[in-house]
Parts: sequence; C-alpha cells; structure tokens
Amino acid sequence: MSASGVAAAAPASGTAAPVTGDDTILELRNLEKSYGSVLALKPSSLAFRRGEIHAIVGENGAGKSTLIKLLTGVIPRSGGDVLWNGQSVGLANPQEAIDHGINAVHQEVVLCRHLSVAANIFLGDETVKFGLLQKREMTRAAQKILDDMGFQLPAGVELGSLTIGQQQLVATARASLRGTQFLIFDEPTAYLTRQEAAQLFALIRRLKGEGVTIIYISHRMEEVFELADRVSVFRDGTLVGTRNIAETNDNELVAMMINRSIDQIYHKEHIPFGDVLLETRHLSGKGFEDVSLTIRRGEIVGLYGLIGAGRSEFALSVFGRNPKTSGEMLWKGQPIAISNERTAIGLGIALAPESRRDQGLNLNLPIGLNLNLPIYDRLTRGLVISGREEARRADQQIRDLSIKTPSRKSLASSMSGGNQQKIVIGKWLNHGADLFIFDEPTVGVDVGTKAEIYRLFAKLLKDGAGILLISSYLPEVYELADTLHVFRAGHLVGSNGFRGASHEEVLAEAIGV
Amino acid sequence: MASVDVATAKAVKARRNYSFLFALTLLGLLVLLWAVLAFATPNFLTDKNISNLMRQGSMIAILAVGQTFVIITAGIDLSVGAVVGFSTVVIALLLQAGVPVWAAILITLLVGLGIGLFHGFGITRMGLPPFIITLASLTSLRGIGLLMTNGSTISIQNDAFTEFATLDFLGIPSLFWMVILVAVPAYVFLNHTRWGRYLFAVGSNPESARLSGVRVNRVIYLAYALSSIFAAFVGVLLATRIGIGNATQAEGWELQAIASTVIGGTSLFGAVGSIHGPLIGAFILATINNGANLLNVNSFWQRIITGGLIIVIVYFDQLRRRGR
Repeated sequence: MSASGVAAAAPASGTAAPVTGDDTILELRNLEKSYGSVLALKPSSLAFRRGEIHAIVGENGAGKSTLIKLLTGVIPRSGGDVLWNGQSVGLANPQEAIDHGINAVHQEVVLCRHLSVAANIFLGDETVKFGLLQKREMTRAAQKILDDMGFQLPAGVELGSLTIGQQQLVATARASLRGTQFLIFDEPTAYLTRQEAAQLFALIRRLKGEGVTIIYISHRMEEVFELADRVSVFRDGTLVGTRNIAETNDNELVAMMINRSIDQIYHKEHIPFGDVLLETRHLSGKGFEDVSLTIRRGEIVGLYGLIGAGRSEFALSVFGRNPKTSGEMLWKGQPIAISNERTAIGLGIALAPESRRDQGLNLNLPIGLNLNLPIYDRLTRGLVISGREEARRADQQIRDLSIKTPSRKSLASSMSGGNQQKIVIGKWLNHGADLFIFDEPTVGVDVGTKAEIYRLFAKLLKDGAGILLISSYLPEVYELADTLHVFRAGHLVGSNGFRGASHEEVLAEAIGV
Repeated sequence: MASVDVATAKAVKARRNYSFLFALTLLGLLVLLWAVLAFATPNFLTDKNISNLMRQGSMIAILAVGQTFVIITAGIDLSVGAVVGFSTVVIALLLQAGVPVWAAILITLLVGLGIGLFHGFGITRMGLPPFIITLASLTSLRGIGLLMTNGSTISIQNDAFTEFATLDFLGIPSLFWMVILVAVPAYVFLNHTRWGRYLFAVGSNPESARLSGVRVNRVIYLAYALSSIFAAFVGVLLATRIGIGNATQAEGWELQAIASTVIGGTSLFGAVGSIHGPLIGAFILATINNGANLLNVNSFWQRIITGGLIIVIVYFDQLRRRGR
C-alpha cells in the first residue's frame, strides 16, 4: 500500500504524496471544490490504476458526489489538478470527460424514457444510411451488445416499460461502450434485484479484465468487499484514507467513515419527559412499513438512516402529505386520522421538510411572506391583512432567530443555506406547535448556525414540545436524541437499543453490515 | 441585526426601486406614444378619439387583470376571449327572453364562474395542464355559443342596456369607470388579503405552500374562477357596446390580454405580477392600435408591432432579472 493511505484518526490534509507508477490512469493532485466559503471537497490526492475496481465509501455529504461531478465535468474545480495518463486535463464540461473515455452511471437514470432501449444505447451515435436512421440494424446491434454483456433485456421495447433496475442496466451498457476506459458507478445496485446485481457484477469484472478502471460508490459494505481491489474513505469533504481490500475489514472502514471528535456544538439538556404526544402503531405507507414509535413532550426522538431509507416518507405521512396505508396513529392518546397537512397543522404538528428548495421555501418571494405563510388567517382583520401585524410577526422571527437580512422584504433566495433553514424553522415557531419534525435540519448549514439550531431545540423542549429529528448525519442524532431509531430500507431496525451503542454499531445497523 | 449584509441591503432597495421604475417606464412609454401621436395626427387628441381609445382599452384591461391572477399562479387562461364571446350570447338571449337587466348580468357572471370552476376542476382533479383545459374551452365555448344561436347574431333590443357603453360620467367613458370598479378591489385583493398572498405562494412553490397549510387546490379554483368571471363581465360590457350577442366576438382577445399582462411585468413563470402593470400594458396596446388606425397604417402591421413590443419588453425584463 502506498502513501495515500492515512490513519483514520488523522484526516488527510492536501499534502499526502501522490501515488505514481503502478500504471496510473487518472491522478488527482490536491483537487478541491468550494462553494463560496464552504469546502465541499478539501484538497485531495489520489491515483487510480488502470484496470482496478476502486470503491469509494463515506456518509452522505462526505464529498463522494462532488468528486464524481468533478471527474465527469459536471462542475468546475476550484483548485488542484487532474492528470489523465500523465497529462493535465481540464474536464471543463461533460463532453470533454466523455472524449477522454470517462463515463458515469448515475444513481438516477438519465436517459429518454420514451425512446427504445436500442435508441437509448445509440443516442448521439446513431447508425445512419443515406440520411435515414437504420432502426432495425441498431436494434439488432443493441441486442447483441446486451446479450454479450449477459443482460437479459429486449432491445426493441420502450425504455420506460422496463423497471428502474433494468433501466439502470441499459444505462450501464450505454456507458461501457465508446472506448470507455474509466467508468464510475454511483450506488448502482440501489434499485437492482439480486439477480440483476449479479449480472452487473459479472459485467464489471469483465470490463476490469479488459483494462477498464471502475470507480464503485456504494453504501453496501458486502458489495465493496466482494468487488473492489482498493477502497477510499471520504468524510466531511476529506479523503480519509485508501486501503487494499485484502488488508482491511468493515470495522476499520466504518471507523474511518465516522468523525470521532464530537464537536462542542452539540447542546443537550435533559428535560424530564412529559405526556406522550404522538404514537404510531405498525404504521405503513409509501416507502416505509410497520413503524411503531412514540414521542413525548420534552423528548428528542432521532431517526437515523441513509437517504432513501424511508425516514422522510414516514415524516410526510405523519404530517398528512401522503396518506398511511395501514396501522394506527394516536395523538395525545386519541386515535386520529391525519388525511392532509391542515389536519396535522391544526393538531399542533409542524414539519421542516427535507428539501428547503423544493418543499420548505417559496424562494422567489419575500422572507416575511415565507415566515407568515401558515398564519395569514390569523393576521386577517375582517377581509384584509393587518399590515402592521404582518410586519411585526415577521420582524420578531427575524430578530429571535437572528436571520441575517436587511429586511423582511428581501427574497428568500438571497439568503445563505443557514439563514434559509432559519426561515423554514421560523415559519413554524411563528405558528406554534407541540410536535416539531425536523428533517435534515442542518444539511448545508454552517457550524455556527448548527449550534444555534441545536440551542433552539433545547428551548422548544423546555417549552414542552416534542421533537422528531431526522438525520443522515450520525453525530447529530447520536448526540441529541433521547431515543434513537434506525431506518433501513423502509423499516425500523433494532429500535430503541442504541443508548450506549457505539457510532460504529449504529452505522452498521443502518448500512446492514 | 448587527451584521446586516450591505450588498443585500442595496439589492433590496434596488429591487424596490426597480419595480417602481418599471411601472414609471411603462407609463412613460404610454405618454410618449400619446405625445408622438398628438403631433403626428390632428385627430388623436380629440375628445372623441380619446374616449374611443379608453373604451377600446378598457375591456382588454379588465381581461388582463383577471389573467394576471392566473399567471401569478404560474398558469395560463387561453379561454377568456371565447368566454367574452359566449357571454355576449348568454346575456343577449336572456334579455331577449325578457329577463330584467340586473338578473341577466348576474346570471351571465354566474355562467363565467361555472366556466372558471370547470377549469379549476380540470387542473386540480383531472391533472390537465392549464394550457390544455383552457384551450379546450377556447374552441368548445365558441362552438356551444354558435349552437345556441344556430350561428346567427342576436340583437339586443333593450335601449337602456345598449346605451350604457356610450355614457360618460365626469367626462370619462362609463367603460373606463368599469376598469376602476374592477381594479380597485382587485388591487386590495391581490396585495392586502391572504388569498392574494396564497396566489403568489402557489405560483412560487406549490409544494411548500401546501406543506405550510395553504389549500393549493382552492387557490387554483379561485384564480381561474376570477379570470372567467372577469371575462364574463367583459362580455356584458361588449354586449352593451355592440348591441348584439355573437359567439365569434372577441376573437384573439385572450392573446391581447396575455400580452398586456406580460408587458405589464407579470412573469409567465409565476409569483411576479401586479394590478397596475397589466392595466398600463392594455392601454399601451390600445394606443398602438388606435394610432395605427389614425396613421392609416396597414392593420396587419399592428399585429407585427404588438409582437415586436412583447419581445422587446420581456427581453429587457429578462436582462434586469439576470443582472440582479
């Protein structure tokens, strides 16, 4: 193992010596990416060898996606260098990456659903004779390609008629053509059946045999150990280290993925629990199944799990956005049916949703309107809104939460991530609630604002509220939650048994090692 | 608020100044057009022509205000021209049947309400795009109106009713008073009631509005209902002006209404719009048409000029938004 492997306890700075020799195909030298003052990828150096399968693991937000986007030319880098076969390359746009032979299979299928499988495989590279598409010829050629790859898929059908997993295989077939030498897989097995996954693995091994370098990003440890030659671990935008697969084990990798140093920012006070606010009994709905839990006044219930594990779907169901399909809900001891958001809000439930941009904010409207949106019926006197009251309520939240804005009339889109999150939270403080559901409240939020948000949690608890805290950032739920549940693939796993469990054990439970 | 960002503060002020400046620019454009026409033709600045211009502009102005509610929710209402034509038929038939004028007007407005609710139903319950459901109304309402009259024109024999459009009050044509009658409550509604806020919220991000407890479907019903009621009202006004009911009237008015709205600074992407903008926009278009007539410009040119104007104004608006 070369010098790029660095001990887990001491995160790599940008100075790790680059690996050379060993027939390096692509090398990162202090590659970095920043958005304003936020470093999404701290200077990282890493060398990929020709014909290796290199796994990349890390928690959500660790910098893996940023790395892929940089390598495929989707976003420009902020610093450092990328060497392709020893030559410095710009990778300024996706086409340049493809021209070099760098391709990616993304988590979501980015193909044309309404075209045939064959048309998708040859998109941009169609067989043409006398200016006419040779459909039959292309279908035949595509079928041969799919058969050779061992995928049992018909080339003539419309892509949209296939399952997501099958579409993923078509995307893989497409990406592995055209002189691809460097192929990135981002969570490729998320939607695949066991059998499809086996077909994919066979293809990956064959590509490796042909000298193609494979980058394999996955949360699933067993796949990493089954496929990879080497594995690199990312954490908080930093390359923590690289290991030969034969010389490591899941415990070491999990330890590398978790930040051991618990920051000062977690502000936790223990408040005696009060009455039960919400109880769910065997609740099932879209994306989650058989979830039973209770939340009391004064309690933070943490839901940990990877994105897509069903946590947010559960929250949206409790909030009335998506109806439950079975099970029971009790609110303050009474059975209750929450069929829409207004019922939930009327009961005293507030939701700060997962995506600020898509669900939480009206970005191109003023901050004041965002803050007052749930309470306009209260602000109305007779037929019209009391302008003074509207201003007073907005300004009060801006002051209490120290939202850094010159005016309530500024647009929400002009605010930073942290201030935007405060607006989403302020909306519900303005309205008031007994149960606050916070879904990923600190994603893209700077450390200072994080600390403010955690202090706010303590205040809400003291005022008698209960909190459901959803996060895929383990230290956060681990430190703050009084009761910790882990979601995996739509189910609660090993509920309640996590006080005293180590970070490693919790993460292992979520990943399913 | 110790660490207020100075740059953002400036941006806020600039934006507020901008929307004021934009309105002022539009008004300036209108005045400029009048000044040029006053010099270029002896007939422009006559009492008769000015009241004619106001009558012409009034009806499109009212349509544009209704259209604005819909466009603020990021929708579109292509049916308004057809609703106007259909409403002239409805009120003409009612008056022919001897229904009192007040009842005939009320029933016509209720028919408008029904059409708007139908659009709301198509969008929220059937999941049809606004463009499609209102396009369907555009064509079928004209058909229904023609069926009801067997393709003929119904003349209105009620003198009190047909006289209305020719009346003046304080030297201002009655039709223009109707604009004020509609615009003042519309302004209060859009800017000073919660439903106005909800229109903007739904146009900006329906999911966020919904998760904040806004009944998004009702807001959409409301927007289309208002647009259709306004159109039915314009149908009544048109009937008084021309004294007939005919389903083919007001051909293409939906495009003029949309053009006025867009020229008035409303964003077709939703969540941006005002009442005064479309009003000024409507009178700019009316002035161009009027001026072209007086100058003996081929009427085909009017259409071309309107198209060019839409491109120029929206382009400048885009530049401004990007520059922000």
